Amino acid sequence: MLLADARLPVAGHTQSGGLEPAVADGLRDVPGYVRTRLTTVTRVDAAAGVVALHHLRQALPLGAVEAAWAARTPSLAMRRTSRAQGKALLRLAVRLWPDAPAVAAVAALDSPSRPAVLASCAAVTGLGPRSLARLVGYDDVQTVASAALKLLPLDPADVACWVHDALPEVEAMAEGVAGLTSPDDIPAAGAPQLEAWAEAHARTTRRLFSA
Amino acid sequence: MRDPFASSLGCAPRALRVGVCGPVGTGKSSLIALLCRELAADLELAVVTNDIYTDEDARMLRAAGVLDPDRIRAVETGACPHTAIRDDITANLIAAEELEADYEDLDVVMIESGGDNLTATFSPALVDVQIFVLDIAGGGDVARKGGPGIERADLLIVNKTDLAPYVGVDRDQMVTDARAARSGRPVIALSRTDRASIDELTAWVRHQLVHHRDGVLVPQDPGPMAPHSHGDHVHVH
Repeated sequence: MLLADARLPVAGHTQSGGLEPAVADGLRDVPGYVRTRLTTVTRVDAAAGVVALHHLRQALPLGAVEAAWAARTPSLAMRRTSRAQGKALLRLAVRLWPDAPAVAAVAALDSPSRPAVLASCAAVTGLGPRSLARLVGYDDVQTVASAALKLLPLDPADVACWVHDALPEVEAMAEGVAGLTSPDDIPAAGAPQLEAWAEAHARTTRRLFSA
Repeated sequence: MRDPFASSLGCAPRALRVGVCGPVGTGKSSLIALLCRELAADLELAVVTNDIYTDEDARMLRAAGVLDPDRIRAVETGACPHTAIRDDITANLIAAEELEADYEDLDVVMIESGGDNLTATFSPALVDVQIFVLDIAGGGDVARKGGPGIERADLLIVNKTDLAPYVGVDRDQMVTDARAARSGRPVIALSRTDRASIDELTAWVRHQLVHHRDGVLVPQDPGPMAPHSHGDHVHVH
């Protein structure tokens, strides 16, 4: 089973990775957009997931990891989106692994972020930190790419090429965060334009995607 | 241990979940607004809408003033209205569960699908009963076209029957066609100017609620495909 799979029933079809408001504001360079995310918001998520995985494996409390993630995700709209996605994934994780301590630890949090829930899935399945970070990166690229096909006139083969060409950057991002263990190490890589788009999207009355 | 029956189904204390689906413009939002007006006096209600491109349906219902605006919540579907009610119902389930958590004494949660084509029906894991809505103005032949919703939804509404004379459709023939397509399942010819038809609709909903509370309501799947024959046997797949 693939965690980064559109067929996973976690409402992934409602997400554009922030692309919808970006396109509405005139963005057309989707590969550039993907790279920007990989070095900013997606890197923060991947790092938070890796640190959360370390804490779950060591049976350490997750509160500080969640707080560090939230502090590095200044957009309320983005935090809400991540928590909504976390809720959807947790719903599935609880059904799959009702007795897993890692899932129980995350389920005990108040509105866990998606990275924290993904970390619990990684803990249960034996996924290592680098694989988890790669999964966060790859899933983000595919989310944006799939949404792009609905938002812009594109040849899906071109979009598949974009995903393929982004893989080395996904790998580099994963390698960069895979060794992190402390909440303080999670990068604070803000992206004000992405945050502004996310906030604008949360207030619009016309949207295809939740975020 | 994993409990294979630990789904959202069969939890008698929660609200009855009623799905309303059908093509765009057939009157799904108006039907829900009508039910809210008719039932809100003695039932606790909430609504989840699935708009394709806007929150127009949710805003229309809020503006209608039939329910507290917080009881009407919109779910985005990423241009996949069919997915959101059938293959990956997560966003809708979470919306329904949050409403049930926020309003503990809810009796009925109505879930309105994004207007989709004739093949779209709800997963029985999302709703307990479902209503498929057609309208007279969409053409008298639509009921004959069939499909899972028309043939096997728990209730088929032929809506806006007061428009029949203006659009050249034989109301009685369309209802007869619909009944013929449904093997005895109920059909209501509805018009907001026809009091008897409204009473028939509200009685049906109340009846479903009683069944739900008695624990005897088993969600039925209209299915994505019609039963068909391979020559020697009839089956569904």
